[in-house]
Amino acid sequence: MKEITFKNKSSTLIYRDYLNRLKKNLKHSSAKDRKNILMEFNSHIFEGIQRYENIEVNETENLMEVLNKLGDPQDVLKPMIAEKKLEEATRTFNPIHVFKALVLNITNGVKYIFFAFLYLVLIGFLFVIGAKISNPKEVGLYFKDGGFYLLGKMKPQLMESINAKEVLGNWFIPFFLLLTILLYIIVTFLMRITARRK
Amino acid sequence: MNKSFVLRWQSQVKKGTLTFIVLNILDKKGELYGYELIENVKDKTSIIIAEGTLYPLMNRLKKEKLVTSKWVEQESGIPRKYYSLTATGQNTLLEMKDFWKMLEKSINTISK
Repeated sequence: MKEITFKNKSSTLIYRDYLNRLKKNLKHSSAKDRKNILMEFNSHIFEGIQRYENIEVNETENLMEVLNKLGDPQDVLKPMIAEKKLEEATRTFNPIHVFKALVLNITNGVKYIFFAFLYLVLIGFLFVIGAKISNPKEVGLYFKDGGFYLLGKMKPQLMESINAKEVLGNWFIPFFLLLTILLYIIVTFLMRITARRK
Repeated sequence: MNKSFVLRWQSQVKKGTLTFIVLNILDKKGELYGYELIENVKDKTSIIIAEGTLYPLMNRLKKEKLVTSKWVEQESGIPRKYYSLTATGQNTLLEMKDFWKMLEKSINTISK
C-alpha cells in the first residue's frame, strides 16, 4: 500500500499511529481483508485531506479533523470483526475460534453472556475430568438421600460419616466427557442459529 | 417533552435506515467511492455518523451480494474503491422501497 506523504513531521506521526491502530484491530482478520480495509481507510484519509486543503492551511489540523470524523478504529471495526469471528467459529467448530468470537461478541448483547456462561460450565466439566485424573479417590459426583449432594472432592471418611455415596465410579470420566461434547455441540449450534437469524 | 428520548429514538431510526439510504444513493448515482458516498449521505440526510462505520456496512452489503466494488488506480498513486449496485441489489432496493411506501402510508394514517 502506498502511504500518504506529509510535509509536516507531526502529521506523519499521527497518520502512522492511526494506521497502526487499524492494523492492531485487524490482526485477527485474513491478510486479504486486512489489506483491503487498510487501503480503503488510507484512501478515505487521502480524499479527506484533499477536500480540506483549500479551506484550512494547517496540514496537521486537517488530518486530525479527517481522522476524528472517521472515528476510533476500535469502535469502527469492532462490529465487523466480531461478526467475522462468529461466522468463522460456527463454520469450523474450532474451540479457539468459538472462544474468540464469544469474547468479541460479549459486549454485543445479553445473548452472548448466556453463551459465555454455557461455555464456562463446559470448561468446568473439563476441569472436573482433570481433577478426577489427578485425584481419583476423592473426586466424584456425590449423592445423599437419593438426591444430588456435591460435584467435587470429598474425603472418604466424611463421605461415610454423612452417609453420602459416589454414584459414577469408573463412569465418571466418560460421563463428563460425553456431557462436555454434547454441551459443546449444543452451544455451537445455538450460536449458529442465532447468528443466522440476525 | 422528553428530549433525550427523542434524540435516542432519532439515532435509532437513522441507524436503521442507513442501509436503505446508501442503496438509494448508489442507485441514483451509479458508481461512487467511499468518501463520495459518505459526502452524499451527509448532504442529503443530515445524518451524522462516525464515517468509518460506513466501511463495515459496505463490507456487509458486499457479502450479501447487494453491491460490488472495484479498485481504480489514481494519478496520486492512492487508488479509490468504487461501489455500485448489483442486479440483486437493485431488486432488493425495489422491495425495500415498497415496504417503505407501505410503512409511510400506515404511519400517515395512524399519526393523523
